[in-house]
Amino acid sequence: MTAVKSSAEAQDIIVIENLNKWYGNFHVLKDINLRVKKGERIVICGPSGSGKSTTIRCINRLEEFQEGSLRVDGVEMIDDVKNIETIRKDVGMVFQHFNLFPHLTILENLTLGPIWVQKKPKSEAEEIAMKYLERVKIPDQALKYPGQLSGGQQQRVAIARSLCMNPNIMLFDEPTSALDPEMIKEVLDVMVELAEEGMTMLCVTHEMGFAKKVADRVIFMDGGQIVEENNPEEFFNNPQNERTQLFLSQILGH
Amino acid sequence: MKPSGPIDTFQPIADRPAPVQTVGPVAWMRENLFSGIGNSLVTLGIIAFLVYYIPPILDWAFFSANWSGTTEDACVKDGACWVFINAWSYQFFYGTYPLEEVWRINLMLVLLLIVIAMSFTLPKHYRMKASIAAWLALPLVGMAILYGGWGGLEVVSTDLWGGFTLNVFMAAASIIVAFPFSFLWALGRRSQMPFIRSVSVIFIEFFRGVPVLSLFFMGSVMLPLFFAEGTNVDKLIRVWLVLIFFMSGYMAEVFRGGFAAVPSGQYEAADSVGLSYWQKILLIILPQVIKISMPNILATFVMLFKNTTFLLIIGIPEVVQTLQTALANSYWLGGHALEGYLFVFLVFWASCFGMSVLSRRIERTLNTDKRD
Repeated sequence: MTAVKSSAEAQDIIVIENLNKWYGNFHVLKDINLRVKKGERIVICGPSGSGKSTTIRCINRLEEFQEGSLRVDGVEMIDDVKNIETIRKDVGMVFQHFNLFPHLTILENLTLGPIWVQKKPKSEAEEIAMKYLERVKIPDQALKYPGQLSGGQQQRVAIARSLCMNPNIMLFDEPTSALDPEMIKEVLDVMVELAEEGMTMLCVTHEMGFAKKVADRVIFMDGGQIVEENNPEEFFNNPQNERTQLFLSQILGH
Repeated sequence: MKPSGPIDTFQPIADRPAPVQTVGPVAWMRENLFSGIGNSLVTLGIIAFLVYYIPPILDWAFFSANWSGTTEDACVKDGACWVFINAWSYQFFYGTYPLEEVWRINLMLVLLLIVIAMSFTLPKHYRMKASIAAWLALPLVGMAILYGGWGGLEVVSTDLWGGFTLNVFMAAASIIVAFPFSFLWALGRRSQMPFIRSVSVIFIEFFRGVPVLSLFFMGSVMLPLFFAEGTNVDKLIRVWLVLIFFMSGYMAEVFRGGFAAVPSGQYEAADSVGLSYWQKILLIILPQVIKISMPNILATFVMLFKNTTFLLIIGIPEVVQTLQTALANSYWLGGHALEGYLFVFLVFWASCFGMSVLSRRIERTLNTDKRD
């Protein structure tokens, strides 16, 4: 954990080197190499089954990998429970289907981590929770249950729940794919705001408008490998790889 | 593509009541009882059947029944001899527990009800902790109070315990202890570790695959062979252990179904928040598992409760055994089996129905999914 950091490395908050993953005999991730600087906003896109979700799920160990190395904020991702817990405290995640805890109120969903993981007193945890609920603009829903909220509201609660743990990195796994069109905007607005505040973000999404607006880098994946990565302007206007061109023509063509 | 010219404003249409023919009692009867020639005939047939049979049953059970008296000679009328039930009611409820000590049983029943009520009515922020502690303490407190032998309480040997209250206490004491165990067995069965998993599978499948009667025999005849020489473990305790094992085998499978029904996203969300394994299981997964499994937990408990009547096979004087003793009594040879068994039916049915009402109440309390 006390790795000596060179000055270049110190800026790279996530370092993935030659990462390979198999499900049984199925090779899902092939030689993934990715360095993310602190404060960088990255959008990952690609067809379904390309391994984009699997890649970001490796970063907080929702998926194990068999080969290669992964380092988050200087902590090596190995089998040690202590390392895994350290990394998870540092990394927040937002899921496609929100995954709020249905038996707890919104406020309890938000205070769970601060109280049980960070051992904060309840009053302080609730203060933090209300602060983030205000940021995602739904403080009035604090005492309701997730089932009583709309999809867009639930996803904003899920973002607030991650923020309550004060993470350095936020992972978004298709956060707007399960939402009605009218609700996508309210979630994207929160994400844009977060990006503007300098949060390190990795976002799997097909919202190309969002990518153009906030991403520092767009990564295109297919068949378990990174096909192309570039800044948004180059990526959208001047894609180098023919697979990328085909993908972009399909999603932007209508 | 901006719209040009005048824009229509959206006008919601006000709700109208449903057409009269589709609601109300007449419509209900037409739809459900007389919706066609076949259904009308069946409805009339059932009404005729009820008109023919209900009056004689009512007559037997109420109008021509014998209500007062203390001996068989009081039963002079044609109807049911409720005098029999009345005369034996003490034994049916309390077995041969001494009359002057019977307040101890009643106290335990009241405590049981208080703990049940506690689990609903305590303020939310410490309800969970307080009621779990109370539930777990209940079997120990129960044994101490019913058996006695401390603080001036006379010892009441377990040979004297009996009647319906014994059924209730055996069932309650078993489920309380079996509950946490079955949860652990279900967790074990889902474990990644082969040893823990296979031990759990063997345990669960053994106790689910063996008839409860043979388990009772094993508890009363074979278990003592495993105890060290000279130790004499009370028969009721042995049977209690059997009931716990039996119950936890069944409940483990109920819980396993509950575990399988919790979406994997819940585990992932708990992981990503940084909760440890046990925090994740106890704070996130278990409450949802209990909610999902509530109807099956109740069904299993009702089954166990009714299975406590099997204890008569190994000579434990629970309520059916007491009834048989009463039927064989030489002062009551007038054939009161019908009254006796009806009484047992009624007592069990009332208890099980009560539990079912209670569990629906619990389900409603736990149900936070629905929008208000």
